[in-house]
Amino acid sequence: MSTSPSRVTSSIKPSKSTLEGAIDGAHESGAFDIISAYGRQLQNEDTPMPIAAVLALTELIANSRAETMYELVEALKLGAATLKRGTPNPISLTAGCDLFIRYVTTARQESPSFSDHKNHLVREGNLYAHNLASTCREQITKLSAGFIPDEAVILTHSYSRVVIQTLIHAHKRKRISVFVTEARPLGLGVKAHEILVQAGIPCTLVLDSAVAYIMDKIDLVLVGSEAVVESGGLINAVGSYQMAIIAKAANKPLYALAESYKFLRSFPLSQYDLPSHSPNVLRVPTQHASKSSTSASRNSTSSIKSARSSNRCHPMGSRTMGNKSSASYIPLTMTVDQLANNPEVDYTRPDLITLVFSDVGILTPSGVSQFLVGIFAD
Amino acid sequence: MSSTKHTNGLSRDPQPRGPPPNIQPRPKLSKAERRDLQEKQKAAKAAAASSTNAKDKPKEVEKTLAVPDKKSESRSKPSAVRSIARINQPSPSKDSASVESAETEHVLRDLRIFSHFGFTSKIGSSATSTKADIHPSILRLALQFAEFRIVGANARCISTLTALKTVIQDYATPPQTTLSRHLMTHLSPQITHLVAARPMSTSMGNAIRYLKYEISILDIDLPEQDAKQFLCERLDHYVRDRIILADLVIQDLAIEKIHDGDAILTYARSSVVEKVLVQAHQAAKDFSVIIVDSGPLFEGKRLLASLRRTGIKCTYCLLSALGAVIPSVSLVFLGAHALHANGALYSRAGTALVSMMAKQHSVPVLACCETYKFSNVVPFDGFTKNELAPEDGFESRPFLQSLSPLYDLTPSEAVSAVVTEVGLIPPSSVPTILFRAGVQE
Repeated sequence: MSTSPSRVTSSIKPSKSTLEGAIDGAHESGAFDIISAYGRQLQNEDTPMPIAAVLALTELIANSRAETMYELVEALKLGAATLKRGTPNPISLTAGCDLFIRYVTTARQESPSFSDHKNHLVREGNLYAHNLASTCREQITKLSAGFIPDEAVILTHSYSRVVIQTLIHAHKRKRISVFVTEARPLGLGVKAHEILVQAGIPCTLVLDSAVAYIMDKIDLVLVGSEAVVESGGLINAVGSYQMAIIAKAANKPLYALAESYKFLRSFPLSQYDLPSHSPNVLRVPTQHASKSSTSASRNSTSSIKSARSSNRCHPMGSRTMGNKSSASYIPLTMTVDQLANNPEVDYTRPDLITLVFSDVGILTPSGVSQFLVGIFAD
Repeated sequence: MSSTKHTNGLSRDPQPRGPPPNIQPRPKLSKAERRDLQEKQKAAKAAAASSTNAKDKPKEVEKTLAVPDKKSESRSKPSAVRSIARINQPSPSKDSASVESAETEHVLRDLRIFSHFGFTSKIGSSATSTKADIHPSILRLALQFAEFRIVGANARCISTLTALKTVIQDYATPPQTTLSRHLMTHLSPQITHLVAARPMSTSMGNAIRYLKYEISILDIDLPEQDAKQFLCERLDHYVRDRIILADLVIQDLAIEKIHDGDAILTYARSSVVEKVLVQAHQAAKDFSVIIVDSGPLFEGKRLLASLRRTGIKCTYCLLSALGAVIPSVSLVFLGAHALHANGALYSRAGTALVSMMAKQHSVPVLACCETYKFSNVVPFDGFTKNELAPEDGFESRPFLQSLSPLYDLTPSEAVSAVVTEVGLIPPSSVPTILFRAGVQE
């Protein structure tokens, strides 16, 4: 996928408009479909999104006809932009792409022939992707094992492969018990719960709203991450910020586990400054909006049924709810439209995070920025 | 030397005071010397046995404070930095004048606790022999600094470098020495003169340090004109890369944080923030600006005028109204004089109030600061290093002195992010940037 250099060389600083103009051009040429390459890489369940993106970009280089470094980097940027547009939640993707493009830009060309250099980049990209994904998590598991005391009660949020791996590893040497939040609306916490139970770890599934209730019993909080940002803060499934605030109020440590390819060079100033934030997410309700929601509740039975059948909501009716008789108890859930107005991820401020465990080491939140600045600021 | 003490004693004053009574020299005296003088004066006073009304008591205290000052003036022991600004004045008449005027209204202009800030003297109206060595462009610049015609870290740095370029061009290497060894010696008194007008800003200091470095690594075989050309070129590149282009990058990064419908608050007048706001307006962002201002300089008025010219919706208020406007603010942009190694922001006095208030209301605070303003110092308060604004009309009142520090220190916790040309960084990452810059240089 080569681009015409004339379109993108006009300004000193690359502006978004030139990139977008060039993206349309790329779609027309259709020489290399990065989205399908990305999809192929993702089919392996264990491949995290950023690594799949890196592999897709590596394939792009392999298929590229670029003859200069500049052309290649522009093509990579286009590919990354295409990927980001194609995914609903591009945050972790962005981190992986940016790191890889940075690597390509700064890699020294050893051989005089550019195609040799391209092959070298492809090899390095594949090596990086395949080695990094597995070794990253092992590193993090080892580093965090020392911070989990014996007989610890651990709280975690939703489903994170790193956290699951860490807990299973800790379980082999110590006695731990785990609380997992349900993590609505996706309900991934249930999946985590099942995996942990199968591994033999005593585990309890907790309502998202019951986190404050159990916080006094917890020894430490472990969360995974979609991305770790420049400020040292964390972007993770919605509910993490809440958990962090409660942990801080209860003086419990919160440890974030993040692989280095999830370090993102973005600096959100608030929840509404996130890259994934769209304008209709949790706006201040106005007169007009409330009218539409009441009409929805009138059709509540039909919408509940549709909500139940949609694969986004967990079938809550099948679980017993303590002292409520399951026969007469029909829990209400939000409609799909109402859910669409709610965020999927939130931003946890760095002052609420105790430490970030990553394969590059154990970092304080301010250390994350120093690491990022070290890579990107040149 | 300047003296503002004797408004009533002027009639007795034998000679006219030199510069207008705006600013005071603040010499450093050891405690022992001061005590000696106090004893002497007490004895003299007891001997004089003037009217023992109650007024004497407070005056005596002030007098003992004042007299060491004048004594040292008369002794003319200037500190290294203020050497050119001091003028020798004969002592004996002054002594007697001080003793005699003890009973009369004695206006003290000395605030002991801030004496280390140093009032700078009004230069230009006093003549010293060393003036002949100072280049005219430096003389002019020093006057502009002293009269606050050029304010702002960037403006002062750029004007300093421009003036130094002229000095370098006019410089001729004396025989028996080389440019790379002698030029700095030649430039030092020029820089000292500038510092006498106003204490050096961090931006100026870093730029001059860069210049010194460039001079020191000059190739010794380079012909003089080539060397001078090279140095001027380096200075041009410094200004272009680290100020002008850096500001362009900062504008782009800051504009990304401005969303439509935002109410942006800024304090006093920062050249970078002004550029950001104008650029954002040109990028058709819909926002309004609240300018918070305060005395004695009231720089916000000029920012208001220039923003109005571009058509931005502006509100102007004083610092006292900050509490009323802050709930409606979405984002705060602040300028910086310097950013220290512990992440503390050193900026116009009042900035700390604005940031801390914004933090209290969960409003993000963005400090716009080029990396050349980063400083290796670790300050914990705005007290150890500061500058006082020139006095503004309080001289005529007895027992009253106005205190207007020009700068204050904002702790790093109150600043959400710093917008630099290397990206948005948290204030705690300043040492990393400093380290990297140090490695390159």
